[in-house]
Amino acid sequence: MSAKDRPIVSSLVNVAMWLERRLHLVKVWKATAGHPIPKSSASWFYVFGSMTLLCFTIQVLTGILLALVYIPSANEAYRSLEYLNYQQELGWFLRGVHYWGSNCMVVVMFFHMTQVFLWGAYKHPRELTWISGAVLLVLTLALSFTGQVMRFDSDAYWGIGIGAAISGRIPIIGAQVVNLLLGGPIIGSDTLSRFFALHVFVLPGAVIALVSLHLRLVLLKGINEYPEPGVQVHKQTYWRDYEETVHKDGMPFVPDGIGKDLVANGLLLIVIVALAVFVGPKGPEIPADPAQVISEAKPDYPFLWLLSAAALLPNGSEIILFFVFPLIAAILLFGLPFYSNVGEKHYSRRPISVLVVILTYLTIGLLTYAGITGPWSPRMEAWSGTPTKPEFIAGRSPVELQGALLLQGKQCRNCHAIGGEGGHRGPDLSAVGTRMDQPELVRQVIQGGGNMPAYGNTLSPQEVSALVSYLVSLRPQNTIPALNPTNPEKTERVSSGELPKQAKVGG
Amino acid sequence: MQPRTLYWILLFGGLAFLCGCDRLPGKPKEKDRWKPPTEIKDFAELFNTNCRGCHSNGKTLGASISMNNPAYLAVIPKEVMQKTIEAGIAGTEMPAYSAKTGGPLTDEQITILVDGIYNWAKGREAPTDNLPPYSAALGDVNHGKAIFAQDCANCHGSDGAGLKGKGGSVVDKVYLSLVSNQYLRTTVIVGRPELGMPSFRDDVQGKPMTPEEISDVLAWLASHREGPAPGQTAPKGGPASKTQTSNPIE
Repeated sequence: MSAKDRPIVSSLVNVAMWLERRLHLVKVWKATAGHPIPKSSASWFYVFGSMTLLCFTIQVLTGILLALVYIPSANEAYRSLEYLNYQQELGWFLRGVHYWGSNCMVVVMFFHMTQVFLWGAYKHPRELTWISGAVLLVLTLALSFTGQVMRFDSDAYWGIGIGAAISGRIPIIGAQVVNLLLGGPIIGSDTLSRFFALHVFVLPGAVIALVSLHLRLVLLKGINEYPEPGVQVHKQTYWRDYEETVHKDGMPFVPDGIGKDLVANGLLLIVIVALAVFVGPKGPEIPADPAQVISEAKPDYPFLWLLSAAALLPNGSEIILFFVFPLIAAILLFGLPFYSNVGEKHYSRRPISVLVVILTYLTIGLLTYAGITGPWSPRMEAWSGTPTKPEFIAGRSPVELQGALLLQGKQCRNCHAIGGEGGHRGPDLSAVGTRMDQPELVRQVIQGGGNMPAYGNTLSPQEVSALVSYLVSLRPQNTIPALNPTNPEKTERVSSGELPKQAKVGG
Repeated sequence: MQPRTLYWILLFGGLAFLCGCDRLPGKPKEKDRWKPPTEIKDFAELFNTNCRGCHSNGKTLGASISMNNPAYLAVIPKEVMQKTIEAGIAGTEMPAYSAKTGGPLTDEQITILVDGIYNWAKGREAPTDNLPPYSAALGDVNHGKAIFAQDCANCHGSDGAGLKGKGGSVVDKVYLSLVSNQYLRTTVIVGRPELGMPSFRDDVQGKPMTPEEISDVLAWLASHREGPAPGQTAPKGGPASKTQTSNPIE
């Protein structure tokens, strides 16, 4: 049966042809989806670019749906997320897909960049493709950060606070930048409005523009052929050779070269949906209220490495992390296609590049791991809510028990665990009596040091004495107390009734 | 299996999966939803968050007096416990919890805490015969010394300085500077059974301490203190150790 015998089909064909005559869709299709690619580039390693685009598409779609409910005001934002989580049918799932889509986008984009870097795809004549991709990385991270702010919970609040504190250190214009970011001197509704405008208008618009440029460049300059060891890129001959390869041994991206991309994208979709279904959305955590001190604010996954790096760096080196390092990183990133423009593409002939990738992955991976597991905040409720295990209470004298009470009451427990329970900012005190003798402990309590504040002006001499007598008692059975290394014979426990001299001075 | 059959199975399987959305592990659970600390009305949660660090609930061990001790709950008046939680005890590690004094708890939450603590003793109330009053004036120092030697020396030594392997010093000046007379009195009356210290009934088998003896022992203990006792300011013209425990919550 021909189309003529079926009037509906015939009408549709007529409409399609009418459109074709005006829009030249076949030509557009052939020039875009059907553009020729080298057969060698239909590889599993070449799927990350389209996967990043899938993530972005998911983000746009879920973002539009979330924007139907989300209210970008300091008073309502948190409540609208609670509405999505607990009242709106599948609202939590939508949030979950958006959250995990964002994390996956950063990860997949990172893989894409790694592959492009290791396969030498940034070299002549694809310099601008690399640069537009690098700008897209920055934009994606900006989207991730501004998206975290949308939750307007304690993570968002402290995240903006730290961002503002970093911005405030920019020489000369620091204060103005902070004002511009926050929409005023404090974090409030104006701040949220600004980040909302950035997150849903400015940044996605910029990404769409940059992705268009990026794809245009992919079409114009072609997809990188699978590199072979020993084959050099020469500016004079590369393009001629590439066109010859594509002409002789090429195939259209659609339908011949898209198969692996489709499979990889299908798998990615399953992963994102599975993460949303099984892990769920993040937060909202405690509301963005600085008076709620019981919060362990942490950034989202893409910034955890930065959190650990900032926390682990020695005092005074913040300028290096926040200004010198980004400047050098930007020069290296954006300058890459210029200082490494020609020559070998294959990673087996570029050991320094392989080393750079390994070091980058190790650094970011380990710092992220530290960011997830590290005890970065005190446990602000430990002093009143974390009991002490019986072995650290039983058998103590009355004054030692008063020391144990002081350890709770003065909130030492928020940073120091005993028997593994409590805060972990400072060392566990379960066996502190084997490490430090009485005078050392008195000095440490009074003067602080090693990130611990000085308590000399906070505690009375009697309190220091009781606290230290308890700390000295903290040692496992059958272990000897800490000895004074310079004069072990003189190391004796001062009787608890005798006030330490240091305490009298400090207290 | 026909491919079409497989598609139908997948379609219905998917729909069934979606129907179970309320039980999917990623769905945020109501119990995990954040609520303001002032809206917590569950006794166990309130106690575990605010008290357990120092006071035993009967399952843990605390540095201070156990709240799950029927003898203690028999002797302390309910309103005194309420007031103590509200206003704290100045000079000790017991902070003021009432929002009216800058603390974290509402009046309703403090009432829930007090009621919950007293509920622990329900069904296993301690005997109230010969129960000394919760607070009283300090007694006679010299007689107190003799009573101490008779009733307490077995663990703390006749001079109160403690016996190795038994009870520690209770005349330690540092110790006495950190505890109120009322704390000492309460401890003498109810003991610290969880740490092996008997109550006033069992210091000497079959011979409970009388209220006078308790006040006298307290006077002797307090006489070792230098400076004012926590929970009270030194009155003009006399050492703090002679002060009566007139304020029941000190």
